[in-house]
Amino acid sequence: MSNVIHASHLTLTYGNAGKEVIKDANFSIKKGEFVFITGPSGSGKSTLLKALYGKLRPSEGNLVVGGLDLSNVSQRKLQELRTHMGIIFQDYKLVNEWTVKKNVVLPLMIAGYDSEIQDTQARRLLKHVKLPDHADKFPLELSGGEQQRVGVARALAKNPVVILADEPTGNLDDYSSNVIWDLMENACQQLDTTVLVVTHKIPTIFSLPYRHFIIESKGVYEVH
Amino acid sequence: MFILPLMAILLGIEFYLVFERTTNTYEKGLKEGYFMLAVTKNPMDLSAFQALNEHISTAEKIKRESIVSEVAKGVSQSSSKEILAALPYFYNLGLDSYLHTSGLEQIKKDLEADANIKKVETFGSSYQSNYRLFSFIKFILKIFIVFMAVVSLFLIIKQMEIWKYAHKERMQVMEIFGAPLMLRSGILFKVAFIDAIFSTLLVSGIFFYIKFYWAVQSGIDIMVENQEALFKYSDIGILLGSSILIVIIAVYTVVFSSKGVQE
Repeated sequence: MSNVIHASHLTLTYGNAGKEVIKDANFSIKKGEFVFITGPSGSGKSTLLKALYGKLRPSEGNLVVGGLDLSNVSQRKLQELRTHMGIIFQDYKLVNEWTVKKNVVLPLMIAGYDSEIQDTQARRLLKHVKLPDHADKFPLELSGGEQQRVGVARALAKNPVVILADEPTGNLDDYSSNVIWDLMENACQQLDTTVLVVTHKIPTIFSLPYRHFIIESKGVYEVH
Repeated sequence: MFILPLMAILLGIEFYLVFERTTNTYEKGLKEGYFMLAVTKNPMDLSAFQALNEHISTAEKIKRESIVSEVAKGVSQSSSKEILAALPYFYNLGLDSYLHTSGLEQIKKDLEADANIKKVETFGSSYQSNYRLFSFIKFILKIFIVFMAVVSLFLIIKQMEIWKYAHKERMQVMEIFGAPLMLRSGILFKVAFIDAIFSTLLVSGIFFYIKFYWAVQSGIDIMVENQEALFKYSDIGILLGSSILIVIIAVYTVVFSSKGVQE
C-alpha cells in the first residue's frame, strides 16, 4: 500500500519567536490506516495537524501528503489538496449562518457539484450520522454532539483520501464521543480512507490494534 | 450598510467634478474678460507680442480714429489729422490663462523691455481682488471635499471591520476546505457590487434632480447659468467606476486580512 502521509526529518516551528515544536520527525502513514497521535498538552499535536493540512509550512525536512511536498507547494495545489481532505475540529468550525445541509455539502459546493447531487449527498450523509431531520436547522440549534456529527458528515462529503481530526471528542460527553468514533472507524473500514486523529487520550472503545504515535520531547515516536 | 459611506465618497467625487466644471467656466469668463493695454510707437502684430511673452493669446488693435474723435471734438479736420499722426498705437492684449499678479507683472516687464512699447497697463488691482475672491472660494470648496473624503474613508474602514467580523468565520472555514479566493469572497463581492450600483444610481439621481428641477426652480442666477455643468451623463460612468474600484479594494482588504485559521 502507498503512503498517504510521509514525514522525513520534519521540523516544525511555531509563533513569531520560531519556537521549535517538532524536530527531526520521521514517520509514514499508509492508505486506509487509522492512526492516533497522542501527547501531553502543548506537545505539538495540533501544530502537526496544521502542518498536515498546509496551514503551517515545515521549517526543515519534508512533509508529503497525497503526493504533494508541503514544504514548497503552491497555494493553488494546496487548495486542490484540501478538497481531498476531510478535517474535523474540536470546536466543529461550522458556519453558523448556514443551514446544516449547506454546511455538510460545503466540500461538494467547492468542487462545483450541481445542486441535485448536493441534495442527494446531504440526505445520505445526514442519515448516516443519524441527523436526517436536521437538514434545515442551523448549527446553533443543535447540541455539541450533533454539531460534531455535522462536522463528520461534512468531512465525509467528498469521500476524502484522508480525514484529519483535532480532538474531535474533546467537548463531548461519552455517548456523543462513541457515536463520533464509530462514524470515523466506519469511514476508515468501509471507504478505505486514511484517518489521523490527534487526541490527548486514546478512547477505550477501540478494540482493534490501531497504530499509535506519541509526541514527546519534540520527537514523534510510534508506540508498539 | 456600505452604501452610506460609498455614497458620501461619490458625493465628494461628484461635487469635485461639478466644482471643477463651474470654476473652469468662471475662470474662462475672467480670463476672456481680462485685457492688458499696450501702447506702442509703431504697429505690432500678435506674433511680435508673443515673441516677447508666450502668455499673450490675442492682440486687438484699438482704432485710433475713435480715440481722436472723442478727444478732438470741435477741432478742425487738419488738426485732427495731426493729432492722429502724433498718437501712438493702442492694443488690447488677451492672455491664454488666468495668472497671478506676479505673472501679470512679469508680462508687463517683458513687454516694457521692448523699445517699441511705450507703456503697459495691467489693471492689476481689480484683477487681483477678483483673483483673491475666486481663490478663496476654490480653497474653501476643496477643503470641504477633502473633509468629506476623509470622513467617508473612516466610515468605509469601519464598514470593512464589520464585514470582516461578519464574514471571517465563513471565509476561514471555506479556506480550510480548499475554496478558491473568488468563491470564499463571492458573497462579499455580490453585496458590495450591489451597494456600488445603488450608491451610483442614488448619487446620480440626486444630481439629476438638482440639474433638471431644483436649479431651474431655485431661480439662482449662478445655478441657472451653470445648469449644464451640474451633471453630465458621463459622470455616471466616473461614479460607477470609482465605486467599483473602492469596492474591489475594500473587499480584497477584508479577504486578505481574514486569511488563515483561527488559532
